[in-house]
Amino acid sequence: MCEPKATRTVDVTNRSGIHARAATLIAELVRGSRCKVSLIKDRERVDGTDVLQILSLGTRCGEQISFEATGGDAQRVLDALVQLFADNFGEDEEKIQEAENPQ
Amino acid sequence: MKFADFVSPEAIRAQLTATDKEGAIREMVQALLDAGRIRADELESIIKAILKREELGSTGIGRGVAVPHTKHPSVDRLVGTVAVSSQGVDFASLDGETVQLFFLLISPPDCPGDHLRALENISRQLRDDTFCRFLKQAKSAEEIQQLLDEADNNQFA
Repeated sequence: MCEPKATRTVDVTNRSGIHARAATLIAELVRGSRCKVSLIKDRERVDGTDVLQILSLGTRCGEQISFEATGGDAQRVLDALVQLFADNFGEDEEKIQEAENPQ
Repeated sequence: MKFADFVSPEAIRAQLTATDKEGAIREMVQALLDAGRIRADELESIIKAILKREELGSTGIGRGVAVPHTKHPSVDRLVGTVAVSSQGVDFASLDGETVQLFFLLISPPDCPGDHLRALENISRQLRDDTFCRFLKQAKSAEEIQQLLDEADNNQFA
């Protein structure tokens, strides 16, 4: 039996790129799914459940990253991942700045 | 970017005594102060900023590794240190494991590029299980420094 497989590519627009918190959110989302998700950048492929591997891609603002999902809820997971990027990982840049620079 | 570009050798700690998140962060920031990499009057502000960042989500990234970090206006370049805890620290990591290996980073505001490159280097090197295991087993700052140098010279991965 052939499992459903889907791919999606997104532009990284967060000014800090795929930083630690963003990588954690991606891994949490993938861990909560019923499919296997790989992140692909410049022909390098890593496991979407592993924050360390996601960070090792060093994805910067302005670059592109692809997701390949295989399994039951592949489409739903890819939709959620794309939404995560569209929502800028839930970040309000001003609030993050404030949190990181308490005066 | 190499470890030598951001890790302060004098601030490396092989035996953290703290057993909780705040204590571990405090010990590492104090090590940076002792090494002359941050100013004494900024110590509390830096610790507070790193703890604030942890509230947004743990920087325990799994495999017994954490990368506590913050941006802070008191530094003009990326500064960092490495620490090992043999007993492990509860860091609320994604995989539920305690953390033995820490890379703490403080970067200037509006310099996300260097921070990301440091994270990339750390995580790329730690993908090598041997390097990761050797670091966690290191018993002295010199041993950690030597492992970082070897990684910088591409002797792992």
